[in-house]
Amino acid sequence: MIAFWIAATGLSAVTAGLVLRGAAKARPVDDADTRLEPHRRRLAEVERLALDGLLSQDELKAARAEAGRGLLAAADQAEHWTRDGAGPRKAVVATVGAACVAAVGLYLFVGHPELPDQAFAKRVAEWKAADPATLAPDQIAAVLESVVASQPKAIEPLVFLAKARVASGDLPGAEAALRRAVRLAPKRADLWSLLGQTFVMESAQKGDGGQVGPDAKLAFTQALKADPNDLRARYFLGRGKVADGDVQGGLADWRALLASLPPDNPARATLAAEIAQVETQGRLASAEPAAAQNPQVQGMIAGMVEGLAARLAQSPDDPDGWVRLVRAYAVLGEIAKRDAALASASARFKDQPKVLSALRQAADTPAQANVKTP
Amino acid sequence: MITELGAFALVLSLMLSVAQTGLSAVGGARRSPVLAGAGRGAAVAAFVAVAVAFAALIHAFVVSDFSVANVAGNSHTAKPMLYKVAGAWGSHEGSMLLWCLVLTGYGAAMAAFGESLPPRLRAYALAVQGALGVLFLAYAVFASNPLARLLEVPVEGRSLNPLLQDPALAAHPPFLYSGYVGFSVVYSLSLAALIEGRVDAAWARWVRPWTLAAWSLLTVGITLGAFWAYYELGWGGWWFWDPVENASFMPWLIGAALLHSAIVTEKRGALPGWTAFLALAAFTFSMLGAFLVRSGVLTSVHAFAVDPTRGVLLLIMMGLAAGAGFLLFAIRAPSLNPGGQFRAVSRESAIVLNNILLSTATAVVLLGTLYPLIREAMDGEAVSVGAPFFNLTFTPLMVLAFAILPTGPLLAWKRGDARGVARKLWVVLAVAALLGLIAYGIVQPRKALASGGLALGFWLLGGALLEMADRLKLFRAPAAESVRRARGLPRGAWGATLAHAGLGVFVLGASFETAWRVEAAQALSLNDSQTLGAYVLTLTDIGTVEGPNYLAERGVVRIVDKAGRLICRAEPERRFYPTGAQTTSEVAICPRLLDDLYVVLGERRAGEGGKPAWLVRAYVNPWVRLIFLGPLLMAIGGAISLSDRRVRLGVGRRAREVVS
Repeated sequence: MIAFWIAATGLSAVTAGLVLRGAAKARPVDDADTRLEPHRRRLAEVERLALDGLLSQDELKAARAEAGRGLLAAADQAEHWTRDGAGPRKAVVATVGAACVAAVGLYLFVGHPELPDQAFAKRVAEWKAADPATLAPDQIAAVLESVVASQPKAIEPLVFLAKARVASGDLPGAEAALRRAVRLAPKRADLWSLLGQTFVMESAQKGDGGQVGPDAKLAFTQALKADPNDLRARYFLGRGKVADGDVQGGLADWRALLASLPPDNPARATLAAEIAQVETQGRLASAEPAAAQNPQVQGMIAGMVEGLAARLAQSPDDPDGWVRLVRAYAVLGEIAKRDAALASASARFKDQPKVLSALRQAADTPAQANVKTP
Repeated sequence: MITELGAFALVLSLMLSVAQTGLSAVGGARRSPVLAGAGRGAAVAAFVAVAVAFAALIHAFVVSDFSVANVAGNSHTAKPMLYKVAGAWGSHEGSMLLWCLVLTGYGAAMAAFGESLPPRLRAYALAVQGALGVLFLAYAVFASNPLARLLEVPVEGRSLNPLLQDPALAAHPPFLYSGYVGFSVVYSLSLAALIEGRVDAAWARWVRPWTLAAWSLLTVGITLGAFWAYYELGWGGWWFWDPVENASFMPWLIGAALLHSAIVTEKRGALPGWTAFLALAAFTFSMLGAFLVRSGVLTSVHAFAVDPTRGVLLLIMMGLAAGAGFLLFAIRAPSLNPGGQFRAVSRESAIVLNNILLSTATAVVLLGTLYPLIREAMDGEAVSVGAPFFNLTFTPLMVLAFAILPTGPLLAWKRGDARGVARKLWVVLAVAALLGLIAYGIVQPRKALASGGLALGFWLLGGALLEMADRLKLFRAPAAESVRRARGLPRGAWGATLAHAGLGVFVLGASFETAWRVEAAQALSLNDSQTLGAYVLTLTDIGTVEGPNYLAERGVVRIVDKAGRLICRAEPERRFYPTGAQTTSEVAICPRLLDDLYVVLGERRAGEGGKPAWLVRAYVNPWVRLIFLGPLLMAIGGAISLSDRRVRLGVGRRAREVVS
């Protein structure tokens, strides 16, 4: 803050110096020349036109007379500005001083001298140094972006980046990261099936019902080419068949998938229930694929939020942390937890209207449909 | 610290503008060199302070400091650097800061380079310029602060509208605002002269360079905007009579009228009141433009950073500035000297007619622009006014203005020789008419009006060339004499000829392109073809492209002529910007001398047999390059005129210093 005030003082001094320099350079003036100059030029131009044969004698005479009249009128209007006394100089100094003081006063009203610059690179460096459990998904994504930038050929940072972007609701960003990943490792089935799943999630986000569209099918097919046993690809391609009207074909794929799952795989129960439902109704019950609710991603979000809540319970004097917690609960649709956190934070920071305002703003954040706790 | 220093600098500039107004006004009234000198210093200081604020804003955009609300709302870390910088003036707040920068910049230029102005006129003009600065800077500080901070800093920004992420549009606002705000100096000089009660030939001479500078910059700004609309919006056109386009066109028309009337006032001392009126009107229309663009009162394809609440404030500011100007004009106008007399056939008369037509055309554009608002206020009905209205009202006025234009420069001042001018121009008239007839005969389908438009373009172009030939006595005097005359000819004359020729070039392009544009649209699967006039287009490939902040589908369209010769491989894109979830079309243009082959890739859909297909729209835009070349020539003409010693800023003997 000291540096700011030094710089502000310097700027004020420079600008005040410009005003004072203007006053110091002022000299008494006789403006006859400036008033007469245009008419002299006009007269010279008339003579030149006459020389070039562009004016007849009559026209020349009339033009000369007209320019002459202008010259005489301008001479009558000439003014003489005499040297000033001390009064105006004092007035200038007082005005400059008042302008600078008023600027400081007004700035204190509208500005925030206590706030430092927050360049993105500096913030990312701080997040890199922080405990990841305290970071929001979009902050983790920002850190991973810098990792990806420094290791452009590495696959895993891209996969983590994609997952972090999914967790923060940035599905197109996740798609972009996975596209780069499959370009780098086109034979990895898991990357293709993650990309396919991202397409399905994007379809759900757009309100298209989580369709297994042409792009997703292409990605899952590539996954199966690389690994015919890729579970995610098999699930979604079966789902796509059911959605496209090939119910028996889809069910056959799913039954084969179910048979290949180990008995202790937690996904068995969900898949079995989906198969039973399609067998009964002849179509998918829900537009939202069960597998799209990625437990890994949701667990990551929930873990981060609970980590933040635990940290705030231990060190509650962190207004930014509370704002982030309230917003996270709001995004997750955890209304009761959001209200409880809002109440605790509002009581703690009741004398800080800016914090209260930020808390209320965070509480109003709409819940995201694709981010749900298990 | 840098952001807050910028915020402080903005506040400081407001206070310095207050000081500039007070010191200059009192300095002028008391004939005090010290106070007036301090006023000039304050004008330069206010500009320095706004420049610091603007630099701080650009710095915040460059380093993606999302603690600045403006940056958080209009930038993104993935955005290319050019658009991070351009984001500084892509928002409402940033654009108003740019306005303030240009406004104070012109004030500083007048203070630093206006030594040829009489001291009292300069002091009053700087006082008025300072008062305008106070209005707009107060708006920036209190209602539209571009450096306002956020307590809760988002991780990422919301990015700039993808349509604005374009090189032409990055440069468009600075030029446009330099033009708009350039008229503020003309306004200030006009108001100062009205306060002094001296609106005369000398005043007109001082007004001309500023008008020329503003008008030339506005020409470049409008052309860049039209060029951007042409290749970015993807509908093949370049002018839509959109309210925002009209908003920039009105001050341009008034500026053109002012340029000519100021010449009459300077050369003959005539029309002083009318010239002062136009000077006030030019800046009023500029402010109206800013209001229409930023308030969102009218629906527009160009209005991006709109805010109805703050639009009301802008309207109040416009009312204050224009109201003060026209009130003073109403008080002073009756006492202004009507100036020199002239005959009905004279250069003055031609310019008066030109002014009447340009002003009427401006009134027509104003009516067409505001009519939807008036209608909605009267009966609540939403209507839009488009090309048919303007074709019926604006175009005939311009045809008349263009028809008389070549006669003006050939007429003598005060008393012209109509027969002599007719003798000189009949060849041009005959050639233009013949070329129009040839166009009617050979260009299919036959279009009489468009052929007439071409004849008009040739008439303007030929008239400009003939006027220059006449001045140089080309083919009428020995070559050495013509060369001597060419060397001695003032740059202003070259500039005027180039500007008039540029207008002819523009009319040729506009007439041809509008009448004979060829369009085709078809859903194409891979390797499908469609015919476009004399060309065949085949969609040969579709791929996905990842840009710095977008994903795109890029099509490869092979264009061959009827003989099967490859003309070009167009690669139009359909881009998706995840931040903001917006889709844009990136047009592919294959230039063919004066024509463009223009290809747009539409969205993917199910084609025959369930195969994916893409809507491909394509145009042949004949002579379209002339549409942009013409205004460029006009702007260059303005710049050449500005470099004329007779007009140049700061030239002229300085006010004689008296040691007393």
